[in-house]
Amino acid sequence: MNDETVVEARDLVVRYGDFTAVDRVTFTVGRGEIFGFLGANGAGKTTTIRVLCGVLPPTEGRVRVAGTGYEDGENAIKAKVGYMSQKFTLYNDLTVKENLDFIASLRKLDAAYYAKRRQEILELISFKKGLGAFVHELSGGTKQQVSLAAALLHDPEVVFLDEPTAGVTPAGRERFWALIRRVAESGKTVFVTTHYMDEAEQCGRIALMREGKLVAMDSPAGLKAAAFPEQVFEFEPIEELSFSRMTAFQNHEAFAFFEPYGHRFHAAAANAEAWRHWRPELEKTFRIRTIAPSLEDVFIRMVEDRP
Amino acid sequence: MSEPISISVAGVKKSFRAFQALHGVSAEFEAGRMHGIIGPEGSGKTTLLRIVLGLMRPDEGSISYREGGRDISFADLRPKISYMPQTQSLYPDLSVDEHLEFFRDLYGIAPPDYKRKREELLEVARLAEFVRRPAGQLSGGMYKKLGLICALLRSPRVMILDEPTTGVDPISRRELWTLLYRLLDEHILILATTAYMDEAERCSKVHLFEAGLLLASGEPRTLLQEQKARSFDELFLRRAALGGP
Amino acid sequence: MNFVWSRAAAMARKEWFHIRRDPFTMSLALVMPLVMVVIYGVAIDFNVKNVKLAVSDSDQTQASRRLIDTFSSSGYFRVRRDFSPGQALDDLVAERARAALIIPPQFEKNLWSGRTAEAQVLLDGADNSTVVPVSQYVNTIQTLASERIAGADMRPPYDLRTRFLFNPELNSRWFIIPGVVVVIMAILSIFLTAMTVAREWENGSMELLLSTPVEPIEIIVGKALPYASLGALAVVFVYIIARAAFGVPFRGHLWVFGLGCLIFLLTYLAQGLFISIASKQQTLAMQLSMLTGMMPSVILSGFVFPIASMPKFFWYFTMLLPARWFMVISRHCFLEGSSFLELAVPFAALSLSCLAMTALAAHKFKRTLE
Repeated sequence: MNDETVVEARDLVVRYGDFTAVDRVTFTVGRGEIFGFLGANGAGKTTTIRVLCGVLPPTEGRVRVAGTGYEDGENAIKAKVGYMSQKFTLYNDLTVKENLDFIASLRKLDAAYYAKRRQEILELISFKKGLGAFVHELSGGTKQQVSLAAALLHDPEVVFLDEPTAGVTPAGRERFWALIRRVAESGKTVFVTTHYMDEAEQCGRIALMREGKLVAMDSPAGLKAAAFPEQVFEFEPIEELSFSRMTAFQNHEAFAFFEPYGHRFHAAAANAEAWRHWRPELEKTFRIRTIAPSLEDVFIRMVEDRP
Repeated sequence: MSEPISISVAGVKKSFRAFQALHGVSAEFEAGRMHGIIGPEGSGKTTLLRIVLGLMRPDEGSISYREGGRDISFADLRPKISYMPQTQSLYPDLSVDEHLEFFRDLYGIAPPDYKRKREELLEVARLAEFVRRPAGQLSGGMYKKLGLICALLRSPRVMILDEPTTGVDPISRRELWTLLYRLLDEHILILATTAYMDEAERCSKVHLFEAGLLLASGEPRTLLQEQKARSFDELFLRRAALGGP
Repeated sequence: MNFVWSRAAAMARKEWFHIRRDPFTMSLALVMPLVMVVIYGVAIDFNVKNVKLAVSDSDQTQASRRLIDTFSSSGYFRVRRDFSPGQALDDLVAERARAALIIPPQFEKNLWSGRTAEAQVLLDGADNSTVVPVSQYVNTIQTLASERIAGADMRPPYDLRTRFLFNPELNSRWFIIPGVVVVIMAILSIFLTAMTVAREWENGSMELLLSTPVEPIEIIVGKALPYASLGALAVVFVYIIARAAFGVPFRGHLWVFGLGCLIFLLTYLAQGLFISIASKQQTLAMQLSMLTGMMPSVILSGFVFPIASMPKFFWYFTMLLPARWFMVISRHCFLEGSSFLELAVPFAALSLSCLAMTALAAHKFKRTLE
């Protein structure tokens, strides 16, 4: 990874009236990084992305994106970044070519450059349907890939992807992430939010937000080590558990953490002594094995404020 | 008092103009279990739910509803079903409390029951401090939770949920599942579609759909063993690699 | 069908929240009746009065002065003296006058010598709205003037004025305001109902509603209730303005008028509902309700354009419009004091369209998403 800083936020604050959406957030992202931005709904992720995309000047703090900032004029940042969200992406009733043409004209791309760049981009996403295909004919996954192509058309240094894979099939999601890796390898910085923790595992670094504040920032492995200094176990119930029994285990004194994961549970012991004491008893109900914690466990432990 | 309800679907076909959404689906939804309906988008999951709910009529095939072994009509069942659609279906200008009061009146819930239920659900869903906030200003997770607690306000015998957790953060997702799990002990029939394969594993029975066909049904663990896959993600990825879209 | 009142009330209460929080609906319901009354009652005056008349009198005799006097004393013209026919013409062209009266020299001489005495009246033909009434006035004035000029015993001027009351449009407000009631109710009922049900479809809440125990009839009643009340309120409001501010008489029975309002309201609520069920989109519902509800009730109901002078096809076509029949009821109740029996035909026609529309809407409203 390159050491060059491409995105920098320093003491970023955004207030809407008396509501503070983003509260003193500071971080930097380097060139070619895949930077995951996680948090509960409403934690301030989208607001932060809007600031970094150049569409929402912050209330306080400083932003530098690809060597430019709000002080360099209204559209300085916008010219250097690409943005894609799950919500508004492409016009369904236009063809792929018409959509791309439209974006190229909005970006005022030079005709020759646009023709060359479009070819490159479509090769990058290995788009096989014709340019004349209507967007509504594409599957959800392909649509998202074309949206990403549209966001990359003007060769931005940074792309922001806001929940790009919501509602996309597992296979579609995997193809999309392969594409994200290729984009990052080509030297672009990728800034992505997601609710799928298996996707977050594929990020180089992850920032975790809660109620407008940054609560942690590290590599997936680093986050896991920080959130779970203790050993984590997988509990597989030998027979199906009723809800009331499950709740009883969640409040059991043996555990500091006990959360459902598929039909299994991920658990961490409260302390060594309790664990030694309870383990034989618990093995009557569960098959227990040691595992590495998942990012979902990390998320729950770090973001959830259990009293 | 309340006998368990089960639903079976036999040879259901449904087309929308040129597009055939369901190609003859037969499935058993046994009482008191959580049924996960999983599959890629456009595989016919939502259409099946709407047909079960009487919101659409099948072109062919039939649906039968049974209560404690007796056949009952859909009209008898209707007052016992709660539904949470996939699309946003709450009123953005109405607050959390106004939604609850609206559904209280629609369901005809008596005031003392309502008071108890309301507090209990708001507590579990952790929405108690947002009762005055309009639904349009709730985050994605809170919005879905509000939809669910509206559906759970009365005690349904059948709960049908269409993608209850899409676009929801991991914590709200857990809270939604906690709300659902509580129902299982009351022997309620739950049908839920989901795009999260780890959630499929939490169901007591899964039904795998693809392109309007039911591929397989069964207990998640047995099904995975049969298909020699460690997770449903893996299973679907493998199928996609074999010649899917 | 089992109708549960509390569920319909819950719908109505929820609808009331929407209305209260939506500035558009609220202003449409409250401000629009006021604006309509002001526009039709005050700003648009269908009477032609005070027409500026440029007069060039090259004769300057008793006869010519009498002619001019007849125009100015009619109350319809405001005379402006010019020195030459050219100047009068200039006034007309520059729109300082809407009509010109040019009296040539020798006017009186010709008159007495038995030849036809000619005076010229020029009208601004581009101004369609005044040409017809003004030329009518001119005709009448001509008769009067010749009587006046020729007649030995001259009648006093006030006598002349009273004879101008031939024009039933003299107080057009009396005629227009009972019509405004119709238009306002049409808009409030059809437009708002169409929008509100279409909104439920558009934002997905209809799918949820249909899966609850609520019956379609309860949805319909619950939705209609707040808008019907708004409509009723608007009628009362317009009635008070009509009586207090414009002095429109109300000669009929209030209960007959109220019954007419009710049937009309129900008809249009049903039509609005039908539109929204058929369209399921707010924008389409809005356009359809404009096209099938508002436009006919303004243009084809006899509100502004008399039905009697419509082409045959439209004359028959208006028979199908509830607004046309309610217009008759409203005007007769206000101005003629007709009894219920005298209005039996419009009431029968209105009730028939009400039944037809309700049946259509109920038939179309199914408990499915298809």
